[in-house]
Amino acid sequence: MANIDKVAVIGAGTMGAGIAAQVANAGIPVLLLDIVPADATNRNAIAEGALERLKKADPAAFMSRDAARLVTPGNIEDHLAALAECDWIVEAVIERLDIKQSLYAKIEAARKPGSVVSSNTSTIPLSALIGGLPTTFASDFCITHFFNPPRYMRLLELVGGPATRPEALEAVRHFADHRLGKSVVEAKDRPGFIANRLGVYWLQAAVIEAVEMGLDIEDVDAIVGRPMGIPKTGVFGLLDLVGLDLMPHVNASLAAALPAEDPFHALNRPVPLVDKLIAEGYTGRKGKGGFYRVNREAGKRKEAVDLVTGAFRPARKADVEAIAAAGRSLTALLDHDSPHGRYAWRVLGRTLAYAAFLLGDAADEVEAIDEAMRLGYNWKQGPFQLIDKVGVDWLVSRLEREGWAVPPALRLAAGRTFHRIEAGRRQVLGLDGAYHDLVRPEGVVLLDDLKLNRQPVLKNGSAALWDIGDGVACFEFTSKMNSIDSEIMDLLGKSIRRVKKDFKALVIYNEGSNFSAGANLGLALFAANIAAWTEIEQMVTAGQQTYRALKYAPFPVVGAPSGMALGGGCEILLHCDAVQAHAETYVGLVEVGVGLVPGWGGCKEMLSRWSSLGNLPKGPMPAVGKVFETVAVATVAKSAAEAKELLFLRPSDGVTMNRARLLADAKAKALSLVEGYVPPAPPVLTLPGPSGKVALDLAIGSLRRQGKATPHDEVVSGALAEVLTGGDTDVTTPLDEEQVLELERSRFMRLVRHPGTLARIETMLLTGKPLRN
Amino acid sequence: MKKVVVAGYVRSPFTPAKKGDLASVRPDDLAGQVVQALVARSGIPAGDIEDLLLGCAFPEGEQGFNLARLVGMIADLPQSVGAATLNRFCGSSMTSVHVAVGSILAGAGDVFVCAGVESMTRVPMMGFNPLPNPALAARLPAAYIGMGDTAENVAARYGISRREQEEFAVVSHRRAAAARDAGRFEAEIVPITGRKGTVTADGCIRPDTTLESLADLKPAFNAEGVVTAGTSSPLTDGASAVLVCSEDYALAHGLEILAAIRSFAVCGCDPAVMGIGPVGATRKALSRAGIEVGQLDVIELNEAFASQSIACIRDLGLPVEKVNLDGGAIALGHPLGATGARIVGKAASLLKREKGRFALATQCIGGGQGIATILEAV
Repeated sequence: MANIDKVAVIGAGTMGAGIAAQVANAGIPVLLLDIVPADATNRNAIAEGALERLKKADPAAFMSRDAARLVTPGNIEDHLAALAECDWIVEAVIERLDIKQSLYAKIEAARKPGSVVSSNTSTIPLSALIGGLPTTFASDFCITHFFNPPRYMRLLELVGGPATRPEALEAVRHFADHRLGKSVVEAKDRPGFIANRLGVYWLQAAVIEAVEMGLDIEDVDAIVGRPMGIPKTGVFGLLDLVGLDLMPHVNASLAAALPAEDPFHALNRPVPLVDKLIAEGYTGRKGKGGFYRVNREAGKRKEAVDLVTGAFRPARKADVEAIAAAGRSLTALLDHDSPHGRYAWRVLGRTLAYAAFLLGDAADEVEAIDEAMRLGYNWKQGPFQLIDKVGVDWLVSRLEREGWAVPPALRLAAGRTFHRIEAGRRQVLGLDGAYHDLVRPEGVVLLDDLKLNRQPVLKNGSAALWDIGDGVACFEFTSKMNSIDSEIMDLLGKSIRRVKKDFKALVIYNEGSNFSAGANLGLALFAANIAAWTEIEQMVTAGQQTYRALKYAPFPVVGAPSGMALGGGCEILLHCDAVQAHAETYVGLVEVGVGLVPGWGGCKEMLSRWSSLGNLPKGPMPAVGKVFETVAVATVAKSAAEAKELLFLRPSDGVTMNRARLLADAKAKALSLVEGYVPPAPPVLTLPGPSGKVALDLAIGSLRRQGKATPHDEVVSGALAEVLTGGDTDVTTPLDEEQVLELERSRFMRLVRHPGTLARIETMLLTGKPLRN
Repeated sequence: MKKVVVAGYVRSPFTPAKKGDLASVRPDDLAGQVVQALVARSGIPAGDIEDLLLGCAFPEGEQGFNLARLVGMIADLPQSVGAATLNRFCGSSMTSVHVAVGSILAGAGDVFVCAGVESMTRVPMMGFNPLPNPALAARLPAAYIGMGDTAENVAARYGISRREQEEFAVVSHRRAAAARDAGRFEAEIVPITGRKGTVTADGCIRPDTTLESLADLKPAFNAEGVVTAGTSSPLTDGASAVLVCSEDYALAHGLEILAAIRSFAVCGCDPAVMGIGPVGATRKALSRAGIEVGQLDVIELNEAFASQSIACIRDLGLPVEKVNLDGGAIALGHPLGATGARIVGKAASLLKREKGRFALATQCIGGGQGIATILEAV
């Protein structure tokens, strides 16, 4: 299979630029080309402008500054010859067939034989795109449909044509999977492919029904949100995000491409209210607002549009009796005898039926459609999982009762489910009516799959230890939000003893959306409220001892985080021999946000890292200063690459782009450390003592006067400064680990009794936001 | 009595720390090129130089060792030329001039290179290992006070409004831009060759600075304060050097004499308002020269901050129209160790250009001091 070592993206709009950034995030050099603007003094102005916007994008498009340097902007008049160096050329220009085809002719003349060309089109069929082009082009051509923003949306729809070389398709699939971290779903060359075909139908159903039933948009978003497993932005929040003005275009383009019998046409009625909003400039968050707006004249009041009158009114909290009455039962919601219940049914019933209709049309596999909606629209569960949840037979009977068409796929599944677990394996119903094992891409190992056919080695209410084969054990957090509590510490201690006896290595990993957001604050506050200071101190000590035992265990330990790894979740990683991190890992010691200092060895480990790996000037202050400026403002790395810059990760730690490959990579890393494993030598830290503390105090005072630090920040930073400078030590007296841990513990205990800290913890628990007291 | 004169002045371009064109140039290389150019332009036999006296405010890292000796080697000065690195923070290289004058008058040498350098990019203010004395810090917190805080203190104590400071800053930029555009810096600037090519122009001047643009800035040091980045001198990379010798030597070697050094002084003050340091130092120097403020034709008053400049002008009764004719540090930049030699050299050149009789160069110094030099036309 051909390697992809250099990439070109043509079209520096939002999608093209975002794709180029993700290629750069993978460490691959990428050319970003666009047209030469009329009367240009700078012929690369468009691509250069796109690169500048990428650098400032929020959420960030680049994972590091180094990645940004891998993008070379240019134009398609002067730099086409450079395509000859590229192994993959992605076209992401405007959705016009004539423009795309004339560009393809130029690409064909410039590219090297065997390179792959793909289009990011979302509306034009592949068969049309290759029309009239030479067979050499058609055989190297496919559609790679990314979702916005390309860094964060994990779905890639891959469409090959009859002429596409299998090796060309495989080269792109492999690159997109391993390097870009995408979950690649094969779609057929049908309009809208999978996710947008179903997603647009769903959105249109939700809008049309809401408008025609005259519901309040807050209620609608509440109904389609949590109960259906859809992000809480709901429908109207989502449309505000993507832009209302896109709706008519996307609908029209789908309507034009779909055959007359497609159920979409029945829903594709104009919505005068949407047209009115667009005409008035309410195109969504990029404009002056959309269905929701912030009214600055009314003191930044959040307002919602009234679907009946078209006027804005103050937004209110959703109030849907049907949700409360239904509890956790989705069918109860869909059956609820109220406008809201009927709305829920009309939207979800239609959408699920349409999903079943798409089976065999947009994709042949249930899992492809489920995965497309999970990753392309952030649904918690795919439509066939939802069908299984309400029951195929329930859905069929309800459809019949309403007099709506029942798609053949639902008849096929009658009396059964689309997904099932058989003998510890996941199986999916195929179009042939038989169940087939769900096959993961080669090398993908998921803990959720493994758990189906084994019992945990150890388990309690907050964690579990699993045997993941080849002598490797996996420690999994199972607590709410994966917050770290005494049960986790307890099981971790037991696991260390067990792994020592029965395994070669340990991986710390879980499949939650976040590795761990830190210690369980609720417990800490509860203990503080009843003045259980001894218990709190015991929690701190136990954490220190357990993490230290992990660090010096006689077997290698590999941390494998994805998502947030904050506070205590960061500290456990700092005590691992190595980390294999998902590229989208957000690490930080954020304790100061709740008025505390890292107390489970975080200060100690960061001091040790910056002293040994920091490449800093000599003397006792530079490492202390670095750790202080990182921890005192609760810096969180926005990617694994950034975590390396901040030394939350070591330069030698691994990064996995594809979330689904993280466990396999972490296990391989752990096994690679087994032979000749020697636990690390304990660090000895030379810290500046009170002189260094005075220097940090000067900085804190300055921030305070600048208004960048609050009064309690000054208290917390002061305690942090004491820990990091080594208390009352002197540069001539190096400290060992236990002495620094003692400083962490004593300053933590001093702060946790402080009313300012308790107020911060309480606010964090109540609002999820830091209190700036 | 013997006269000591300034017979040469050069400097590097001054560029903003971190983002300027000199950020990638080591301070020893920077100073080396400036010293080499000074000696070459003067045409004197380098072996005649007694000592290279180099000011530097944070002499560590790339500014460490005996920086002056290394700069002498980089500049290819003969091994017989001595070298000492002097530190009086912002007053460092003006001190090197004073030491040279004293030595010449003591008969301990005829020719001195008095230079200064600071790369505020490569060696941060406070240095890499700030380790204040805890007992002193507790007893006298102002011993380690930040410079911005002193600027706020001066503004408060002297009742200097933000608007006044901004007006002052606008004038500084306007004068510097006018001087640059008229080519009045060309004679003093030595092109510097570094990793990214040759740097020939100052980088801190913002001719488009207006009262409106300054009014938009947030206070830099105190949320409630009146001092902004726009009314402070920027962190700067740069080097400067003057040739100080006896008048006899200058005449014997046909050197162009810019001015004679008539008197000088240092004077301590409260570190919390270090910006008023020039007041005491200037009064002493004037008195030693036996002249009055009214006799000054040219004044170079280092603009560490607009607030302290205005306070000094007011306290000393300086004629504003004679202060910083080609702009000051707010526009040009303030590479700590290099500023003293720059303003002595600048005052001497201006005295000649303006055909005046007396000139003053003075500056404030962190920790609470002032330093001043009175020059006289020859």
